[in-house]
Amino acid sequence: MSTLLTSRIMTDVFGGITSGAVIALVALCLVIVWKSTNVLNFAQGAMGMFATFVGMNLVFHDTNYWLCLVLSVATGLVVGGLTERVLIRPLYGKPEINPIVVMVGFLGLLEALVPAIWASSFNTVPSPFSQVYFQSHGNTVLLSPFVLYQIALALGVMLVVALLFQYTTLGLKMRAAALAPEVSRLLGVRVNRLLTLGWMLSSGIGALAGVIVSTGHTLDATNLDGIFVSAFIAAAVGGLESPLGAVIGGLLIGLAQQFILNYWSANLAPLAGVIVLLISLAIKPQGIFTRTVTRRV
Amino acid sequence: MKWLTTLRDARPTTSRALGITLLTLLALLITFRLSALDDAKLASGAAIAIVVVGLSWLIGWSGQVSLGNSGFMAVGAYVTAIWANHHATTPIFVTLLLATGCGALSGLVLALPSTRLRGPYLAGMTLAFSFAVVPLALNFPSVTGASSGLTLNFLNAPSWFAGLFTGPQATVNANAQWSADVAIVVAAVAFFFMANLFHSRTGRAMRLIRDNDVAAELTGVNLPRTRTLAFVISAAYAGLGGSLLTLLNGSVTPQTYSIALSILLLTLMVLGGIGTLSGAVLGGLIYSYSDNLVSLVNKVTGVNPASTFGANLKGIVFGALLILTMLLAPRGLVGLGSQLVRLFAQLRNRT
Amino acid sequence: MQYIYQGESSMNHQRIHRAVKLVSASTLMLGMLSWGVGLASSASATTATPGVTAKSVTIGATVPLSGIAAGYGEVSAAAAAVFSYVNSKGGINGRKINYLRKDDCYNINALGCTAGTGVTTLSQTQALVTQSHVFADVGSLGTAAQGTVLNYLNQNGVPNLFVNSGSSLWNQPKKYKGLFGFQPSYQAESKVFAYWIKKNEPLAVVGQIGQGDDFGANGLAGLLAAHLPIAKANQLTYDANVTSPTLAAGLIQDISTLKANKVNAVVLDSIPPVTQAILKIAYNLGYSPQWLISSVGADPISVATPLEVGAITLDYFPSTADTANSWNQWVTKVIKRFPAARADFPNYFTGANAGVLDANMLYGASYAVAFCEALKSLGKNVTRAGLLKAMTTVRFATPSQTPLRYSATKHQGLLGGSLAQIIANTNPASNPQYIKLLGNAEYTTGDTSTTPVITAAPIVSPIPGWLS
Repeated sequence: MSTLLTSRIMTDVFGGITSGAVIALVALCLVIVWKSTNVLNFAQGAMGMFATFVGMNLVFHDTNYWLCLVLSVATGLVVGGLTERVLIRPLYGKPEINPIVVMVGFLGLLEALVPAIWASSFNTVPSPFSQVYFQSHGNTVLLSPFVLYQIALALGVMLVVALLFQYTTLGLKMRAAALAPEVSRLLGVRVNRLLTLGWMLSSGIGALAGVIVSTGHTLDATNLDGIFVSAFIAAAVGGLESPLGAVIGGLLIGLAQQFILNYWSANLAPLAGVIVLLISLAIKPQGIFTRTVTRRV
Repeated sequence: MKWLTTLRDARPTTSRALGITLLTLLALLITFRLSALDDAKLASGAAIAIVVVGLSWLIGWSGQVSLGNSGFMAVGAYVTAIWANHHATTPIFVTLLLATGCGALSGLVLALPSTRLRGPYLAGMTLAFSFAVVPLALNFPSVTGASSGLTLNFLNAPSWFAGLFTGPQATVNANAQWSADVAIVVAAVAFFFMANLFHSRTGRAMRLIRDNDVAAELTGVNLPRTRTLAFVISAAYAGLGGSLLTLLNGSVTPQTYSIALSILLLTLMVLGGIGTLSGAVLGGLIYSYSDNLVSLVNKVTGVNPASTFGANLKGIVFGALLILTMLLAPRGLVGLGSQLVRLFAQLRNRT
Repeated sequence: MQYIYQGESSMNHQRIHRAVKLVSASTLMLGMLSWGVGLASSASATTATPGVTAKSVTIGATVPLSGIAAGYGEVSAAAAAVFSYVNSKGGINGRKINYLRKDDCYNINALGCTAGTGVTTLSQTQALVTQSHVFADVGSLGTAAQGTVLNYLNQNGVPNLFVNSGSSLWNQPKKYKGLFGFQPSYQAESKVFAYWIKKNEPLAVVGQIGQGDDFGANGLAGLLAAHLPIAKANQLTYDANVTSPTLAAGLIQDISTLKANKVNAVVLDSIPPVTQAILKIAYNLGYSPQWLISSVGADPISVATPLEVGAITLDYFPSTADTANSWNQWVTKVIKRFPAARADFPNYFTGANAGVLDANMLYGASYAVAFCEALKSLGKNVTRAGLLKAMTTVRFATPSQTPLRYSATKHQGLLGGSLAQIIANTNPASNPQYIKLLGNAEYTTGDTSTTPVITAAPIVSPIPGWLS
């Protein structure tokens, strides 16, 4: 057993799941927003990092880590709601490039605003758990209490979201509003409110992703940029509509990255997304997890 | 002025050539009065304007969104640097053409799987492409020089041109102005072709597709082929711009061509005005003179440019401008300008 | 699908017309604007040599003052302090030295960079040359960063002296007549490390982690030139341009590889923050080889982790703990009395390390002293050609313990240094001794496998009378 845990393959699997879990989390955010409002949120990563800064920057002023985490997520919820109300609502029914451009602008704005407000330092966000990897007979198991915490947090959030959508009335309403807004409205569902809620949820989860990525590292507004691109591709692999597809896509890309890193070249790890996307397009261009929908003109 | 209108209607290509030549001559004259620093700014602005007009064509005319144009620029840039390092005597126009061709080729390769994709998927594919550029450059150090990149000679003014300059800074001024003049001429040629393209059969087909692709297909337009063509042309322009920028910068480093550049290109295009030539020119000028704009904002607001806030002011201003433009004036500065012109005309008619 | 600018498709002509009008209007406006700019800039009077007037010499440098490599800021700050000191004594031959330091963020516009969005080494260098009309570029820093401007400076005839980097790029006198390095090449440094490994750990399995540019590549080339067998799998690089989590993911992989391959001597060609990250990750992975760290990335105050204790590095200056060294005393005096701003030396005036000299300060002071010596040798007649000639003829006296000599065929600068060991990296209570020189010897060598490592006694150049 112990030789299996420290084997090269298992090392890659652990490493891949660690990075894949965060990619999957951000991909999930993108899917929630896409499903509810048909907007591609290019500022997803930047919004997450903004919220992370609001909370986690207090760590450097001797605030409790968990308090900072809660504050970050709370900020994420607020930012998401405000974004939908102020920036996105005026653009419903406009050409699809308009919200893309607005969110790209928001991305640029936030990534400049964050270092402008919080003069960046190279301070490391302290980890609440030990970062020393487990050892087995002198060999390293690529898991540490901190890594386990990262994975558990990411998977836990995904589970909560799944339960929310599947088993609560709110989840049912949100799904209905996304699928058939007009019918839902007729049935008395307050669709507008649910759209805002979708953005809040996604932005809150994004903040959590920011916290996970930044713990043990320097706080930087661009910490989620690379992950956002991978997450975007993961969501596209899943077809942009399917939360489960996004999560699986994210984990796949994380694993692919790790294997490329180990067996090919560290420089080429970012290519994992492109490769996974190309393969999935070759298999099924509409996304692996979508039902084919006829486009109406 | 009536003969002008007649010429425009009877010989549109000639009149376009004439107009662009006149504007180019005017721009060249202006470079003689500019400082060396302004010359350098104008030169890179011209290179960026070429890329922006290519992107503007793709998004504004064919309705496809690309975030991969920084990647095509990188192709042009590396081809230029690698070629220049092995064949130092090649005339720059040949180098530029070669880079344009390679840009187009890379566009074709990416277009084949991508043009079947729509909207967000296409954006995702092109995003993935531009994300792959830096890692690829880093992984083949013997070809690309990894993060140090490659260096090549700057554009040196030929002796007849340098002879026009005197004083202690003669070399500096001559070289800077020569670069600006070369860049302006290259941009003028690129804009001339684009102006004709806008009014060609392909241009009309493109707009039809953008507005209603099913109707276009019914009238006999070959959808995938036309879309691919739009993509390839846009990539060719990016390759040309990247090549020119490399000749002006005397070096190419992978980080220059990160996704941030794609986003900047999109920003410049939207601020100038989607789908127009003049919008792209304005985009190039905004690129060059944004520092001056920001220092103006610094001066007005009293923000210290060396403070962390001041250092990030440019990003804040750009981001906010992009959002506001899309929300309030989606047709950019050009659209705003023509609205003003129309307003004046209305006022005049009323009185 | 609807489009925003729909509804004007039938107005081609009007559209062109409007476009032309707009373009011409904007060009005209720009033209008028620039007319004024042109007039304004031609008003400033200059003599025959750019940057030189009867009373002053203006020189400049592009250096990281913020961002990932901001720790090197005190190098040029120390140089600036030396120039202020010299100016306070009346300057050189009656001319004051005006030293302009422009922040280029190491040409990496990312975390912590306050130089402004879009600022590059090239744009800052262009500003120095075209706006400030500098006489020479003196003491600019960074291998990749300066690699992007050496052609620009060369083609515009601007001398480019004492580039702060050990790349062998600066040693191309045929191609770049006006380009001079300062510190030993990374090849030479690696060859001295190889010399130490062969002598002290002859059976060691060796690996290297290098920055993904010429810094790392030259370092590896030196190890290989010394005939150290390094398996391809143990030759690793990192990218300085990525964010902290991405960097860490790659480093975890690299260090796991080295550990799995039972590598027990690792050479690091990294900048201080990355050195720190590597040491911490290795600790987390339970890996403790013998570290050999390039002089560029070893400064204990910047690396700031006790994990560095025991590492071997190269030092071409006297030990900063040697308070009896006359240059150490002189540099201490200059930095205490003439700092442009106390914040330029973040660790010197406040905190646990207050009053402690470090190698960065000696570095900056050294090239500033060398520039003053070259300038002084020119007498009243200061020209660029004269300066370049002086560079190869003046016998420089600097704090360095190996001689700084250039010739018509050699523009590298120092040729080696002494081996040293990090012996403390916690806040010292008294008499700080971060680095201990190993033996009383200097090792010099060249870049290729044919030049041997030569051992000699360290030198202490006397301080020129006009400086003290």
